[in-house]
Amino acid sequence: MADVNYSEAEKTFILHGIQDKFPCREDGRGCEDYRHMEIETGVVSNTSGSARLRLANTDILVGVKAELGVPSPEKPDSGCIEFFVDCSANATPEFEGRGGEELATEISTVLSRCYDNSGCLDLKSLCIIPKQQCWILYIDVLLLECGGNLFDAASIGVKAALYNTRIPNVTVNQEDDEMEIELSDDPYDVNRLDISSSPCIVTLSKIGHYHVVDASQKEEACCLARLMMGVTAKGTISALKKEGWGSLNPESIFDMMETGKKIGQVLNTSLLNVLEEEEKSGNKRKTVGFLK
Amino acid sequence: MPLDSRRICGPESTQSPHIFTVNKDIKSDILLNGERKDGRKLDQIRPLFLRPGLISQAKGSAYIEQNHTKVICAVYGPREVMRKEDFSMKGQLTCEFKFATFSCKKKRQHQQDAEEKDLSVQLLEALEPAVQLDKFPKAQVNVYITVLQNDGIALAASITCASLALADAGIEMYDIVVGSSARIHGDVMLVDPSEEEEYRSQDCKDVNEGKVVIGLMPSINQISALTSKGEIDFETISQAIKTCIQTCQKVYPVLQNALVNSVKTKT
Amino acid sequence: MAASTICVPGQRILRTDGSHVAGNGTYVRNGYVHSTLVGHVHTQTTDDGKTIIEVRSTKTQNVVPSEDDVVTARVTNVNPRFCKCSILSVGSTKLQEPFRGMLRKEDVRAAEKDKVEMYKCYRPGDIIVAKVLSLGDAQSYVLTTAENELGVVIATSEAGGNMIPISWCKMQCTKSLSEEFRKVAKVQPEFIEYSDS
Repeated sequence: MADVNYSEAEKTFILHGIQDKFPCREDGRGCEDYRHMEIETGVVSNTSGSARLRLANTDILVGVKAELGVPSPEKPDSGCIEFFVDCSANATPEFEGRGGEELATEISTVLSRCYDNSGCLDLKSLCIIPKQQCWILYIDVLLLECGGNLFDAASIGVKAALYNTRIPNVTVNQEDDEMEIELSDDPYDVNRLDISSSPCIVTLSKIGHYHVVDASQKEEACCLARLMMGVTAKGTISALKKEGWGSLNPESIFDMMETGKKIGQVLNTSLLNVLEEEEKSGNKRKTVGFLK
Repeated sequence: MPLDSRRICGPESTQSPHIFTVNKDIKSDILLNGERKDGRKLDQIRPLFLRPGLISQAKGSAYIEQNHTKVICAVYGPREVMRKEDFSMKGQLTCEFKFATFSCKKKRQHQQDAEEKDLSVQLLEALEPAVQLDKFPKAQVNVYITVLQNDGIALAASITCASLALADAGIEMYDIVVGSSARIHGDVMLVDPSEEEEYRSQDCKDVNEGKVVIGLMPSINQISALTSKGEIDFETISQAIKTCIQTCQKVYPVLQNALVNSVKTKT
Repeated sequence: MAASTICVPGQRILRTDGSHVAGNGTYVRNGYVHSTLVGHVHTQTTDDGKTIIEVRSTKTQNVVPSEDDVVTARVTNVNPRFCKCSILSVGSTKLQEPFRGMLRKEDVRAAEKDKVEMYKCYRPGDIIVAKVLSLGDAQSYVLTTAENELGVVIATSEAGGNMIPISWCKMQCTKSLSEEFRKVAKVQPEFIEYSDS
């Protein structure tokens, strides 16, 4: 993690704020509040789908590229998704060279684990000719600024980018033994992905005796153990991972899971609402881009 | 995947013939008439064999065998931090998890692949809370895990094996970490799944298919590792975690015994 | 508690009360003394009537140099500003693998620090007794020999013979009788152990 060194006094201040009877976090939020979030889809024209998410100081750009490839022999009748996270040195000089690699693999493994089940994204629909051709979705997450809670932000960004993804329609023509794939000429003849059951990651950070969602960078420095959950709109859990060098009491894990499920469901529905609204406004929408 | 320049590698894309021959009908159901294929009860774990201290050159070592899952672990250190960039004033723990190339159905590469790297991180996170890192500032303890044969729950077995090896090495720890795993299959829960029973995303179509791995520190009742895979609803996953905790508690006396016996035989 | 009790990490040994103190190999959590090692439980009574609980491992203890430890080291490299050494043992415990140490010119002796000439104090190959001054940086521990009891204990002359100390700054070769400069340790008699006794 892009660590910043905070003094013991500052850590104690944050810790005491959360420990109080009426918990108050350093920025005045409650324990279960997210920070201000801004999302915009379709920001990069060369992609099949893209989204930019800004969660307070965390800035993430996700691009999805759909390409044709051969399905893996273990799953001959479905397409693939590949996650790749790039921790740009823009975010912090520590990421220069191979510095961000560890964090990047960690984020991409958690993301791919969240999507590694048949319910979250229908990969079967990405198959064109079983055993021969399928769509491979390359989902690239670019980290532009680190302000804490990267996992949640990345997953929200991915979901938004998948919502925005348009895959060209193809038709398969059989000529003798030869299969031929024909790509539609019409740029509006596209398929979309169903993301209604895709998960969002909710990270619960244990600080002192309490847990908080959407920890800021300062709070992450005080936190000993975190629980990451991939939560779908239905409230099912698609991945669970404890992280950090502390350990957790079983009771508090169940408490955290309860909170995570509740918050994850709200997060999923409000994300979908925002995305649908954005879509409805269509061309009238004022593009913000990177000017803000 | 970086190319391994030190070894003569086979062709890049070879496949085991088994993935083409497997009869999908048999595989799709892991239960036969509501029973497990190896005749175990749902919550029955496989016989467990543990032996600390078998690699004489290592500071500490351990071997674990659960039927066909066989894992060996060696611990070295506390030793000097070799790479300058890894330096920290705090004590460090490093883990290297490796499947022997012949250990799984699929042939593994000599170099760590992404899955093994992920497992190394999970193992590290499971062990780190248990080790008193402040006892060896500026130094590091290296844990090397090799899976000799994989018949399911490689991670859970490795957690148990590694903590046994750390204890054998005389590294000061708050508690021993016991790993356990459960497969969730609809309404039923299979404790200690074998390779055949383990969760594979491509075979499962429904909700409530998945697996959970936990690492528990039994005597101070703390969970140091928790991971799950597959889409599972909230109640089922909570139940699975509880079942895993119970399994860990069941296994714990065996570990204690193995360690006590290793002391007795030495003196 | 009998000395033969064997415990494993995490195991509760007993409840803490005023009369018990958690010693090496144990820690206190929620009012209980837990073990951190695999080994035998030992109890010791101190002068003020308290009992120290210790767990001793059957293996050699895991030690790393810490501040104020007396260490034995071999000099590997000498230059005018400092010499490098590899720490071989901490106290009386031998290390399985050496740690790097550094002895700066200012820390060679307590008096006349500015007149120290490194080559007249240490040569590569010397075995020295030193004290850990600080944990140092990423590369090495910082050592000091600025005490009478610290300095060279075993050295070989240019002729290849063993050397015996003849003053605080000189040693003589037993073979060629030539004298060489060293910062000699005044080893206290109680620390000298003869191999035949």
